[in-house]
Amino acid sequence: MSFLQPAMLIALPLIALPIVIHLINQRRFQTVQWGAMQFLLAANRMSRGYARIRQWLILAARTLAVAALIFAISRPLSSGWLGVAGGGQVDTTIILLDRSPSMSQAGPGGVSKLEAGVAKLVDSLETLGGNRYLLIDSVNQEPVEFEKPSDLLEMPEVLPVSASADLPSLLEAADRYIRENRPSRAEVWMLSDVRRNDWKDDSGRWDAIRESLVELPQMVRFHLLAYPEIPTGNRSLAVTQVRRVEDGDAANLLISLQIEQDGNDAPATTLPVSLELNGARSVFNVELSGKGSELVEHPVMLDGGTSRGWGRVWLQADASASDNEFYFVFDKEPPRKTLVVSEDPAKVRPVEFAAGISPDAAVVCESVSITPDELVSQDLENVSLIAWHVAIPGEDEGLHAVLMAFVQRGGQIIFFPPKSPTTAGFSDVSWGTWQEPQTVRVGSWVGDQDLLSRTRSGDALPVGELKVTRHCELEGEFRSLAVLDGGAPLLARATTDRGGVFFCTTTTSAGDSSLATAGVVLYAMIQRAGEIGAKTLSSTKQAVAGDVEIGEMRGWEQLAGSTDGLSSTYASTAGIYQGDGALIAINRSAGEDAETIVPPERVESLFANLDFDRVNQTADNSSSLIQEIWRLFLIVVLLALIAEAVLCIPKKITASDAVASFAGAGKSQVNHMSGFSQPNAEPQSDDVSVGGVA
Amino acid sequence: MPRLAILQHELSVVLPSASFFSHGKRHNLLGDNRNRQFLDAQALARLAAVPLFARRPMVGGVSGMHASPHRGSSVEFAEYRRYVPGDDLRRLDWRAYGRTDRYYVKEFEADTNLRLCLVVDTSGSMGFGSGDVSKIEYARRLAGSLAYLAVQQGDAVGLTCMGADIVRALPPRRTPSHLRGLNDILENATPEGETGLVERLHEFAETTRGRALVVIISDLFVNPPELREAFDHLRFRKHDVSVFHLMDPQEISFDFRRPTRFVDLEGGVSLFADPSEIMDRYQQAMVDYLTEMRRIVLETGVDYHRCSLDGDYEQALFDFLVRRNTGRGGR
Repeated sequence: MSFLQPAMLIALPLIALPIVIHLINQRRFQTVQWGAMQFLLAANRMSRGYARIRQWLILAARTLAVAALIFAISRPLSSGWLGVAGGGQVDTTIILLDRSPSMSQAGPGGVSKLEAGVAKLVDSLETLGGNRYLLIDSVNQEPVEFEKPSDLLEMPEVLPVSASADLPSLLEAADRYIRENRPSRAEVWMLSDVRRNDWKDDSGRWDAIRESLVELPQMVRFHLLAYPEIPTGNRSLAVTQVRRVEDGDAANLLISLQIEQDGNDAPATTLPVSLELNGARSVFNVELSGKGSELVEHPVMLDGGTSRGWGRVWLQADASASDNEFYFVFDKEPPRKTLVVSEDPAKVRPVEFAAGISPDAAVVCESVSITPDELVSQDLENVSLIAWHVAIPGEDEGLHAVLMAFVQRGGQIIFFPPKSPTTAGFSDVSWGTWQEPQTVRVGSWVGDQDLLSRTRSGDALPVGELKVTRHCELEGEFRSLAVLDGGAPLLARATTDRGGVFFCTTTTSAGDSSLATAGVVLYAMIQRAGEIGAKTLSSTKQAVAGDVEIGEMRGWEQLAGSTDGLSSTYASTAGIYQGDGALIAINRSAGEDAETIVPPERVESLFANLDFDRVNQTADNSSSLIQEIWRLFLIVVLLALIAEAVLCIPKKITASDAVASFAGAGKSQVNHMSGFSQPNAEPQSDDVSVGGVA
Repeated sequence: MPRLAILQHELSVVLPSASFFSHGKRHNLLGDNRNRQFLDAQALARLAAVPLFARRPMVGGVSGMHASPHRGSSVEFAEYRRYVPGDDLRRLDWRAYGRTDRYYVKEFEADTNLRLCLVVDTSGSMGFGSGDVSKIEYARRLAGSLAYLAVQQGDAVGLTCMGADIVRALPPRRTPSHLRGLNDILENATPEGETGLVERLHEFAETTRGRALVVIISDLFVNPPELREAFDHLRFRKHDVSVFHLMDPQEISFDFRRPTRFVDLEGGVSLFADPSEIMDRYQQAMVDYLTEMRRIVLETGVDYHRCSLDGDYEQALFDFLVRRNTGRGGR
């Protein structure tokens, strides 16, 4: 139990007051010379037992009454959070708010976790009081000060968004604020549903955050108001791919989507899925069984061969509204133009072929072989991929800047080793020396993402079948996507903000590797790089909420989506936005659909060595988180006093009135026993009453 | 109208004032004891109007106003008895002989004097008194007044003071000087020691010859069954037994407010108690005791008078005397 006025608890020793008074009374006894000791001794013998218990009960009732009174004026709280307010007034209260879509899950009453949590926080903070209040929400991640707890209900920063939260970042912001402003005593309240996607509990940042927080000189307490409950029967919908295909003059939209639901034993059912396409609505059915279903390339005819537009699919409402809809945009597939830069076009012919053969009739692929000198004359605005087969230009050369601008725009570059490598590098990666001929195979590769990922059917690329005879060493900071036996990289990716910079450490020459002869890997690698580069050329874009810079969307117009938020939160709110001649669809991240909760013990470990406590709540729980219960203690006082009064009532005995009347016999002086003139005479009832007045 | 008030009114007619006692024999009796604080001349004058009678026949040495078991020469006819040789011929009833032709002797009741034995309990508990009067003081007033009344009507009076032992014993006499000595003993009697009332009553019954009116003045803080045996013993000895049971009001009400250390007046243990805790039990014990005492006096035929110290001793004595007169059937 905690108290709002813990200082009053120093009066607790007063509970000994009844005992002290009792002892003083015992010492303030009077001494009486007494004759009728035989009755006193008899009474004392009889009084052992209940009378003594009663005496102790009276003393206990009095002590309880005093204790309850002291507790009542100390303003006790009903919360089980030990020490919530145990040190007096809080200087600064910081609220870390998880606004992720999963916090929109509603309870039976229709109140979302976010709404319920904010309301409880407001209620609790108004009870606890404080000098300064700050809100750090998962979107802005910057402290926003507000005057009083009730203001929190009106702030737009407490509305749900579609962007995932990043709890480590929120804690870093709180840590930063405390270090800069040095409050005397701070309380950090975290409101979250403890999803692993938001907490990123496997991130290495946690250790640094915890160490930093532990070193804070101030007294900082962390309270987690957790809503880990996962609603049953929830379904989620996500569009996995949208393709526009032309069929003569007509055009169709092929929509692939995935529907997931809780449990494996759900009966098969037909689920209606609503579709809104450029404002026109329709419904189609999806057969659903087990944990979910995937609908692949559901065709929808586009009116008049619409080349560009947006759409939305959604399910019937359930406990979690945020994962029931998905926005998408579509556009004509931009041409994949590849520039193959080489001094000897014959040597790079396999690359040129791989880039020029279209994987789909709807995709236009173009491959052009040029020399480095011809690059400056090319219009790189339409190029999606550059295969660079010559020495890397030095940073002081003009070509280096041209390539860097290409990458910054989102273009993709694959560097192949030149015949004579130089020390010049790109994105902090440079070529080393050619290694002696030695045939090796690929030992391992990254198969779940990037250029060598599995096919759509789930089959792995035959990367392991490649034979590499010669390869060039690679120097600098990079991430290996494929590694040869012996540890040397075959394919690596440099770190860049935008675009893609890859290094293939061998060539397609037959003397160097089997990339050309076993061309599947080369083809997939080139086409995927070209596809990624082509997407940056499109005027439409699918984005994950929170990944888009807020500044990029300044001045944009919302075509569809929630209208509750401000324009400054467009980047974090699911919907369709239009600006600068482009369309963008923003949706929640795929991680939001994974209902994985961080285990409580793991959360505890994240806050190890910190003053941390946690309470689990449910969205339908409307009771106050913290409640003053001084009334209860006053009732206890009342009951204790009543019990004491009842126990103090002298026990009635049958003959007490007779004794009292004898005591008052002074008025009639004498009580006679008459009828004794005849020794054996029967006593007269009128004459023999004990204590009766003669 | 209370009976005492009626009596006082009647006495005011017969006895104009207490100065009546300032002349003659009564003057002498009271004159020697005038300074006794436990004697009230006016109260004695009022009480003297009611004679003290024994409820049972007495055997006295001289003629008096009390019935005797023997035939005597009073004017009150008792019975006719057949003449047997040896009877005094002067007592033959010749008129009865003339009517029946048989010899009858006419017998008359004998009147004798009374031997009043006052037994005063002087154990330590008799020193208690929550008001102005202690039990021993109350006992002095009762015993002194009874002694005066007895001597005043020509009866012999004796006194036995009992504590753990018989402290003082004065055999019955009916002289004024004897009364002075008796009052001296009463005046100097101090309550002390444990009570030995039951044992001393047995001893008293064994050592007292002849019939007597035994008046016991005590708080009777003894074991009731044992007291019953003592009463039976006295009755067996043909004594007319009366008891004045003295009780202080506080001993009954047990009206204490604060924790109290009770020190036994008879030198026993002391007891610390919170009166509020044991009051009900104490009163229950007191009721049980009084009920037992009532049963005993009923069964043993003892003339029992319960006196509260906040009451008037004169009223107690008046009731005592009047009851005895009522029992005599108007004689």
